[in-house]
Amino acid sequence: VTRLHARLAALLALLALLTFITGAGLDAPSVIPAGALLLIAIFVQPGERAARLLEPLWRVVALLLALRAGLAVFLDRGDPVLPMVDLLLLLLCAESLRRRDGSGDARHFALTFALLIAAAAYRPGPLFGVLFMAYVIVATLTLVVGQLSRQSLNRGLPPPPPRAAFLARVAALGIVVIATSTFVFLFFPRVTQAWAIRSSPLPASAVMGFSDRVSIGEHGASIEPNPQVVLRVEFPDGVPASTGSLYWRGRSYNRFDGRTWSRVDRTATPSTDAQRWPGSIVEQTIYARQLAAANVVFGLHPIVSVASQSRTRTFRGASDDFLYVGETDPIYRIRSRPERPHPDSLRQVEMRYTPEVMAHLQLPPMSARLRALADSFRVASSNIFDQSSAIEQWLHTFGYTLDLPDSPAEATLDHFIFQRRAGHCEYFSTAMAVLLRAGGVPARNVNGFLGGEWNEFGGFLTVTQNHAHSWVEVWFPGWGWVPFDPTPPGAVSGGVSARGLLSLRLLFTGLEHRWGKWVLDYDLGTQTELFRRTVGSLTPRARRPAASEGDASLVRLLVVVALLMVVAGALLRSARAFGRGGRSAATREYLRLRRAYQRSGLPPARALPPLQFVAAIEDVPGAAYARRAVELYVRARFGARPLTRIEVQVLHESVAAALRELRRGRRQG
Amino acid sequence: MAATRPPWRLRLQARLRPRRRLRVLRPGAFVIVGTFALGLATLNTGNNLLYLLMGALLGTIALSGWLSEQALRGVRVERHVPRAATAGEPVHVLYTVSNRKSRLPSHGLEVREQWPGATPSFVAALEPGETIRTRSVLMHARRGVHPLEGVVLGTSFPFGLFAKERDVRLAGVLVVWPRTDRRLRAVRLGGRRGRRQDTGSGSAPAAHRGDYRATREYRPGDDPRDIHWRSTARRGEPVLREYERDAAEEYWIVLDTAAPDDVVAEAAVDTAASLVAAATARGDRFGLAAGTSRLPPGSGHGRAEAALDILAAVRMGGGRLLPPAPAARCVLVTARPAVPGGWGDVFRVDGDHAAIDAAEVAT
Repeated sequence: VTRLHARLAALLALLALLTFITGAGLDAPSVIPAGALLLIAIFVQPGERAARLLEPLWRVVALLLALRAGLAVFLDRGDPVLPMVDLLLLLLCAESLRRRDGSGDARHFALTFALLIAAAAYRPGPLFGVLFMAYVIVATLTLVVGQLSRQSLNRGLPPPPPRAAFLARVAALGIVVIATSTFVFLFFPRVTQAWAIRSSPLPASAVMGFSDRVSIGEHGASIEPNPQVVLRVEFPDGVPASTGSLYWRGRSYNRFDGRTWSRVDRTATPSTDAQRWPGSIVEQTIYARQLAAANVVFGLHPIVSVASQSRTRTFRGASDDFLYVGETDPIYRIRSRPERPHPDSLRQVEMRYTPEVMAHLQLPPMSARLRALADSFRVASSNIFDQSSAIEQWLHTFGYTLDLPDSPAEATLDHFIFQRRAGHCEYFSTAMAVLLRAGGVPARNVNGFLGGEWNEFGGFLTVTQNHAHSWVEVWFPGWGWVPFDPTPPGAVSGGVSARGLLSLRLLFTGLEHRWGKWVLDYDLGTQTELFRRTVGSLTPRARRPAASEGDASLVRLLVVVALLMVVAGALLRSARAFGRGGRSAATREYLRLRRAYQRSGLPPARALPPLQFVAAIEDVPGAAYARRAVELYVRARFGARPLTRIEVQVLHESVAAALRELRRGRRQG
Repeated sequence: MAATRPPWRLRLQARLRPRRRLRVLRPGAFVIVGTFALGLATLNTGNNLLYLLMGALLGTIALSGWLSEQALRGVRVERHVPRAATAGEPVHVLYTVSNRKSRLPSHGLEVREQWPGATPSFVAALEPGETIRTRSVLMHARRGVHPLEGVVLGTSFPFGLFAKERDVRLAGVLVVWPRTDRRLRAVRLGGRRGRRQDTGSGSAPAAHRGDYRATREYRPGDDPRDIHWRSTARRGEPVLREYERDAAEEYWIVLDTAAPDDVVAEAAVDTAASLVAAATARGDRFGLAAGTSRLPPGSGHGRAEAALDILAAVRMGGGRLLPPAPAARCVLVTARPAVPGGWGDVFRVDGDHAAIDAAEVAT
């Protein structure tokens, strides 16, 4: 039992370490050696002498690590968490390799639990949930086995033998702890504002993705695909028809210096009158990742209203852009009217040049042939809409490539339009905005994401960095900023996704989304909603509004909880059947014996009474053991009192010996 | 025999004690403090995963409470106290513990006597319907007739965080005899040495006891070998034979209950008990007078047990010293510095020798 206890303790430590890894990753340098050590400790425990020899080593290393942690905190002013984790892991390894005693057990449990708390400080994925459950079950086993064996040993008694029935029963108790934990999690009132979880914002990197600038200056490489998930969008009031062609607008840029777009924020920038736009409101609940580039709120254009649902605060910036403040991943609910006004209405618009509008005609010095090209579009069209559409259509004839131009000379707008005639979206949007501005039409560059992958498992749209896109907005007095996308259609979305593992990835993303929604970002709002739905589901169907997706997920949650209960109940029942006195154990052993002899073709008749069965196998190997076992079984089955524990043990060993003899006999012929 | 009643304060304490008690053990205290700390951190930070971890700790505490209650419920304890024990020697008390629940087992049960220094007995697992015998050891038993109030049934299952206890009311008496192993000189009645001091243990054969004299009714403590079976069969009740020499050689062991302090008093009782043991070993017929109790002369192991029972219960301290028979046939055990003459033999116990094992003071 003590060996079992030591193994369970090592396994518990390993599970705590894995749980920590789901949050913090492999950043702490000691994670891998500690994991290896704990893995070894599950199978090999050092003897008493080896443990004594290791003790000074632990102390020296612990001292060094404590010094290092102190230095990190007081001198370097660095992040103290990782040095502390190194120290924690060392102590945990040392404790797992020590002889188990009472205070050691308490220390060991405290250390593993500390690792779990450390993991919770990060933003671990759904694997945390799975490992947490395993941890609770193994912790229950470890503590109970440790407590019983220690109590027995302290009184000079042998520890109780680790029977499968008992272990199953204790594991079922672990499920009870998980159920309590879930209950507390669901119903403990979320009255406080949450802190920022240690999530690292997605970096603005050289790879494909959103950045807070639009530039055509880069050259000499190609843009690497980047499948990191940026947005997960749910549509509470119904999913739009074509989720693949939705423009998730982020920021707009009104100033171009020939290479890079930038933003000059003016309070008087005209904004879009979304109320006038046709079409119905599309509601979106967006679970966004924090981006290093900017705290931008993404949504379908034009936005009617934004409401923050997480611990961030959203506000309307200049130029129709929405931003947020807060140090965590934002969640917000957006209402928009994304249907573009009818072309005929847009054709009737008369341009009125106010100073605010004129600011969107700013241009850097440009070549004569580019100016001539812009003029040709202006002359050919009678209104702004046709002029914009013509440029858009013309640019659609170009090619799309993620390869950047080879030299700085080639990384210019002129080279793109007149020689290369291929590029990525920023070239297209820049070209269109410049041609419009040169032709007297106020326009600006916007960036964000285009499309996304619809996740059937989760019922939401996943937008990754691969969907980053740049397009153009044109000013139509009376309507506001209307989007145009000059990039050739079909060039952007889906081109770089890993098709082979798509469904698996969708499944995992779906899981991750639910984990984030129902666990990491569970708040008072969700909690009250859950209560409301629970009460709602209890009211008669006729009075209830139509079931929504939330009801379904609540039902699923309840089903999962019920399943957990059933599993715990079944474990308890089977454990009880195992453990109930001698009788059922005796029957089980007897049946095992019968089956083994029957597999060997003995005895001939199937339904022999026990004593005749013994008579029938008289000359077969193991018969003497079998007779003793059957006698005990008959006594247990028909005797007045159940077998004692020792008799059950004898029965078990007799059956085992009989089967051993039988196997040996069979091998010998 | 009269059992010593515990003082009223202890009785009141026992009455006011709640039937079920919960003690927080050291790991339990850590878990409670840890849960509070984690709860504060959770409320402060609002980190949802901390709610999950706090829930796990709360679940562990709740499970501890529930399981410890289940472990104690439906468990029946019977106690088997030995006939008697000897002062200063460990006493083994046996228990029959049975789980009368139909479904749930009980784990980690502890049966503890409310006796200072008692080592509790431990039952690791008790399946539904199972009965187990276990024992506990009471150390440092003092001479006396001790009422045993009840046992405490406790458990710290499953995690060792809390100790839950329940009183099991079990009436019982533990008789602790005085020590009988003091080395004493042989009894010299009227200056003669005891005649059969070198005889082996057990009652002397009838041949050494002279002629058959009469029969009388059997009294508890008489040697069953002296039963006259024919008369017993005729009368329907046990009848004993008496021999001539029995009456001639019988003597009384008289314990003087006056003693200056407890140590001397116990030494006097031990001396009397050792005389009883020696007399039994020689097969002497002896009677016992201690305080107000009288045991008529007789021999054999039954008689010795009856005598030791009286000595276990005797209260020392004062009282008049009256010989129950002619003083010449009495062996006096006393702590008085001087006693009137005429006693057949006197064993004096004084403070100097009381604490040492032998109080051999001849007159």
